[in-house]
Parts: sequence; structure tokens; C-alpha cells
Amino acid sequence: MFNWVENLGKIIIYGTRSLKETFTFAFLIVAGLFRSQTYNSASYIVLLHQIYFTAIQVLPLFLTMAAVIGFLLTGIFLHNLKELGLAAHFGRVIMGFVVTELSPFLTVLLIALRSSSAINAEIATMKVNKELNTLETFNIDLISYLFVPRVVAGMVSVLLLSGLFAIVLLISGFLSSRLLFGMSLNEYGNTLLNSAKLTDIFILLIKCFIFGFFIILIPIYSGINATYELTSIPVAVLRGMVRIFIAIIVIEVLSLIARFA
Amino acid sequence: MRFGLVSGDVPLISNLDVWRNIALVPQYHGGLSEKKARELVQTLLSRFNIERIAALRNPSLTEEERFLVMLLRATMVRDAIVVIDRPFKLVPYLKDLSFVYDNLKKIEELYSLCYILEYTHRLNRPEVGNGRAG
Repeated sequence: MFNWVENLGKIIIYGTRSLKETFTFAFLIVAGLFRSQTYNSASYIVLLHQIYFTAIQVLPLFLTMAAVIGFLLTGIFLHNLKELGLAAHFGRVIMGFVVTELSPFLTVLLIALRSSSAINAEIATMKVNKELNTLETFNIDLISYLFVPRVVAGMVSVLLLSGLFAIVLLISGFLSSRLLFGMSLNEYGNTLLNSAKLTDIFILLIKCFIFGFFIILIPIYSGINATYELTSIPVAVLRGMVRIFIAIIVIEVLSLIARFA
Repeated sequence: MRFGLVSGDVPLISNLDVWRNIALVPQYHGGLSEKKARELVQTLLSRFNIERIAALRNPSLTEEERFLVMLLRATMVRDAIVVIDRPFKLVPYLKDLSFVYDNLKKIEELYSLCYILEYTHRLNRPEVGNGRAG
């Protein structure tokens, strides 16, 4: 009994400490955004490289995924809604669920799998190789040079890719509804426009920024907490990825509460 | 007092090209533009006849090339004293310090003072242990 209570206490203490440290680090990153030393050509290059690796390199896979999912989902939704006699709610389902919930969720999952793991391993490797020491030795602030540009790139990438995902998804959704159910472009467009809500778009924007912020911040934080041993790299990546998935679920739940509460 | 350190404990950044490693300090602290930084680094590398390595990364360099890149990076710290920490550890097959001295002479206007720190038992020329180079 006492062991059980002790273990629960340890988990709560570890979780609370970890959460506190993550938010302290998040505060440092946000503060870094407002420091003049963040804005120099070296940091700018880091930002551009990160946007290229996160948002451009992934495009072929990403667009294919968006087209296939859009085609299938729209077809399945329209078919089921018609069978249930709820075809009038088609637009609301597409805009309210597929565009505002599914697009950012799938986008953030893909970026987390691809870029967050890479950034986590990169920062942990830099720590093990003492390359972070190099930057500090030359008086280069890690937050303004290495971390802030990556986090900003993550936020921009998630926003742009979510928007692109939604557009491709809607286009392939139109093809699916046209081919399978003979829906015209006018009818499809009107259905979606009538169902679009400004608050949904606002929540979508906020959610994209928060997703982008945390799925890059968390792997950076895990990476710098690696020790100087090579074996700490996989441990740091593993911890970082678990924390990212917890963060994604928490943000998703909070956004749902904000939308429907 | 500022130091430009050449040491195995201050390695090159492995995900940056050679030229970006050298240009990082003037770009970050001096706001040097991308184009000017590249031109500056090319000029400096040409003094050692190693312009060809500008686009390479740390793992692709020989020990001599790595040492020279670290030396150039150290001289990029404005008004700093260059400190070369254990050169025989950085380029283990050196018989003496003539390689270090010869290359320091090629960039002598880039630094005012240079200290070379090395274990005396490794030195064929013990007088360099506390001396001033360049």
C-alpha cells in the first residue's frame, strides 16, 4: 500500500517538475523572441533551413496523404450522411471536423514524427559532441541563435501545412463528391461556405501556433537535457517523443473544450 | 578580455559547412550579411590554399584542415587573444610546431596575441610553452 502511494507521489512530483521546467523554458523562448540579438543573419539562416526541412521537404508525402485522405473521407462522410438522411449537415461535418480538427491534427502528427524526432536527436547529439559548449564559448546565445528560430519555423510550418492540407483535402473532397455523388462545384462550394464559421478559423489558427510551438520546444528541451554520454541520445529522443504525444493530446482536448464548452 | 579558442573541447558545429562555422561569429555578433560573410571566409581560406573545403562539413575534414578552420574561427572574435589548446592533440602526427607557426604567420594581422598551451613533454621546442607566437 505504502509502495503504491510512494510510486504515485514520485510520478506526480516528476510530472509537476517536468511541466514546470517545460513552461519555464517556454517562457525563455518567448522572451527570446523580443531580444534584439535574436535578429541577425545567422539566426535567419537557421530559420530558413528549418522551414525548408520541416515544411518544404515533406511536401510530396504530405500532399499525397492529404489528397488520399480527402478523397476517401469526403466520400465516406457523404455516403453515410446520405444514408442517415443527414446530407444537409455535410458542409458542417467537413468544415467543423475535417478542416478545423483533422487537418491540424494530421499535420502535427506528421511533423512530430519527422521533424521533432530529428530536432530532438540533433540537439542531443550537439550536446554529446560539446557543440553547444562551442556556441557558449563564442558567446552565442543558444536561445536566440539555435532555439527561437527553430520554434518560429515550427509555428510557421504547422500553420502553412495545415492550411495546405485543408485546401488539398477540400479539392480532393470535391472530386470525390463529384465522381461518386454527382455534386456540382457550386453546390459543394455553397455547402462549405455556409458552414464556415469565423470562430472555427480563429481557433484553428491559435491551435496551429500552439501545436507548432510545443512540438519543436519539447524536443529541444529533451535534447539539451541529454547527458554527455552517447547512450543518452536515444533516451532523450524517446522521452521527447512521448512528451510530444502527450502535449498533442492535451492541446487537442483543450481546443475541443474551447470550441464546444 | 576576450578569447578565441582553438581546442578539441570547442569542436566545429557538425551540421554547418566549414564556411558557416567560420562566419558564425561575425554573422551573429557583427551582423555580417550572408554574401559578405561568404566572401570573407573564401578569402581567408585561400590564404591556406584550402578554399575547396568551404562547403564541407566537420567529419569530411582532415586533422590539419580542421585545425586551420578552428584557427580561422578563433580569429573571427573581435580584439581577442587566440589560445591554441594542445595542438598536438588536434593534429597528432605533427613533429613540431612549425605547422602551427607557419599558418599563424599567414594570418598575423587577424590577431594581436596568440598563446599556445601544450604539455612540455610533447614539445621538441620547450620555449614555445610560455611564449608568444606570431
